[in-house]
Amino acid sequence: MADKTFIVRIKRQQRPDESVRWEEYELRYRPHMNVIICLRDIAEKPFTRSGVESTPVSYDANCLEEVCGACAMLINGTARQACTALVDDLEKPIRLEPLTKFPLVRDLVVDRSKMFEDLKRTHCWIPIDGTYDIGEGPRMAPSVQEKGYPLSRCITCGNCLEVCPKVNQRDPFVGAAIVSQVRLFNMHPTGAMHSAERLEALMLPGGIADCDNAQNCVKACPKGIPLTESLAAVNGQVLVHAVKSWLRGE
Amino acid sequence: MPAAAPESKTGYILDKLQSLSGVVPIGAYLVDHLWSNSYALVSIEKYNQVSGELQTVPWRIGVEAAVLWIPLLFHSLYGMYIWSRGKSNALSHPWMSNWMYVLQRWTGLLAFVFIGWHLYTERFGGHGVTRYAGVAQDMTNPWYVIAYLVGVTACSFHLGNGLWNFACKWGIAITPKAQHAAAWFGAAVGVGCTLAGIVVVLGFHYAWFPLGGYVQ
Ligand code: HEM
Ligand code: SF4
Ligand code: FES
Repeated sequence: MADKTFIVRIKRQQRPDESVRWEEYELRYRPHMNVIICLRDIAEKPFTRSGVESTPVSYDANCLEEVCGACAMLINGTARQACTALVDDLEKPIRLEPLTKFPLVRDLVVDRSKMFEDLKRTHCWIPIDGTYDIGEGPRMAPSVQEKGYPLSRCITCGNCLEVCPKVNQRDPFVGAAIVSQVRLFNMHPTGAMHSAERLEALMLPGGIADCDNAQNCVKACPKGIPLTESLAAVNGQVLVHAVKSWLRGE
Repeated sequence: MPAAAPESKTGYILDKLQSLSGVVPIGAYLVDHLWSNSYALVSIEKYNQVSGELQTVPWRIGVEAAVLWIPLLFHSLYGMYIWSRGKSNALSHPWMSNWMYVLQRWTGLLAFVFIGWHLYTERFGGHGVTRYAGVAQDMTNPWYVIAYLVGVTACSFHLGNGLWNFACKWGIAITPKAQHAAAWFGAAVGVGCTLAGIVVVLGFHYAWFPLGGYVQ
């Protein structure tokens, strides 16, 4: 009996300035395959459906269990992680494209350093070292831990930015993930000592006011992070901070 | 990369003012305007009395400019700028809130065109004096009726959905539950304004006074 097969169509580009080409591969079906396995199969035997020899497809992946964020791409047009996209659940032929809101590197690989730069710009870390040992921080109430934990699950995959109408070449909006991290770090008792810096950063171009509430982010997040709640909460924090500093003439 | 973007808070303040101006004064005026026009459903005398009051406020041009025209121009023009900064993607990501994002923009534009025409015909054309008979005369034209029905619906939708946006964007409705409630509140205002507007337009068209029961 002939093996069961299925088709994968991939948008390929050697370099950002090179023209796009679509390739079709016919792969042998095995149970429980995911999209990363498909890309590995292609790397093993990079022959397109019509028998033309090609090259292995470039893609990013690391953890293979949806915690590193690296493998985000458009799968049948949906921004999601390739490692948790099971072939069984996907409509065939399977269509793979790189994310569109980040600069393309090659094939399915994009450069998501915008997110890292924006985390730095918004002071999304907690300084624990000085030039001397600054000792233990305050304890965190369990109720705050409970609120913070879901936010801490962000894997910086960028799916929330990909689907946001306000994240594009015309607008420097930092996107929901970064705003949600600001909320997380402002919640932390030590992090709260720097909340003013974060809120100030979110008043600058690309900051919180660029959110126009299309609420796509929350639907695209693979970690189920309550992004629209974070956006509204931080919107309130920035507003209160802005009004207070204005009244104080700061 | 936000390379050349100026590092200033002016954008934040303008964005907030655009958002606020949609609710007060513009949204508040829309509700008030539908209210005062609803007197057309009571009686011709009552309508002429109420509109006469409104048309004789002191410092009228200044009041209208400060409370209506300048906020409306600012909200609309800056709103178009905000629109131009986004890239709608409701066709590839057809979630309801994403369609609302698109509709918020198109109804805003429709509202702007409608209000411009409405001001031209009713405010400036009539030199600021409108009486029941004049409006009723206009409303015998079916094209006027259609334009008003479309215009009022667009304004009402834009206000209703805008109230939901506002609640989310000013940190008033934070949890999904609260945002859901805000959406229902916005929907109620939107539907209420649409219905009131439609009834008023039909009232003028058919010289119909359904709320005139207490008038001798
Ligand atoms: C050309 C005309 C208009 C345009 C282009 C426009 C555009 C916009 C835009 C882009 C928003 C922001 C929505 C968001 O952030 O998701 C908005 C909000 C709003 N608009 Fe308009 N608008 C126009 C006219 C009007 C009019 C005539 C009204 C009066 C009913 C109005 C009332 C509102 C309200 C209440 C909001 C909510 C404020 C907020 O988003 O926080 N707009 N409009
Ligand atoms: S918030 Fe969700 S969608 Fe956005 S980067 Fe983090 S994990 Fe990905
Ligand atoms: S490989 Fe890490 S999230 Fe998919």
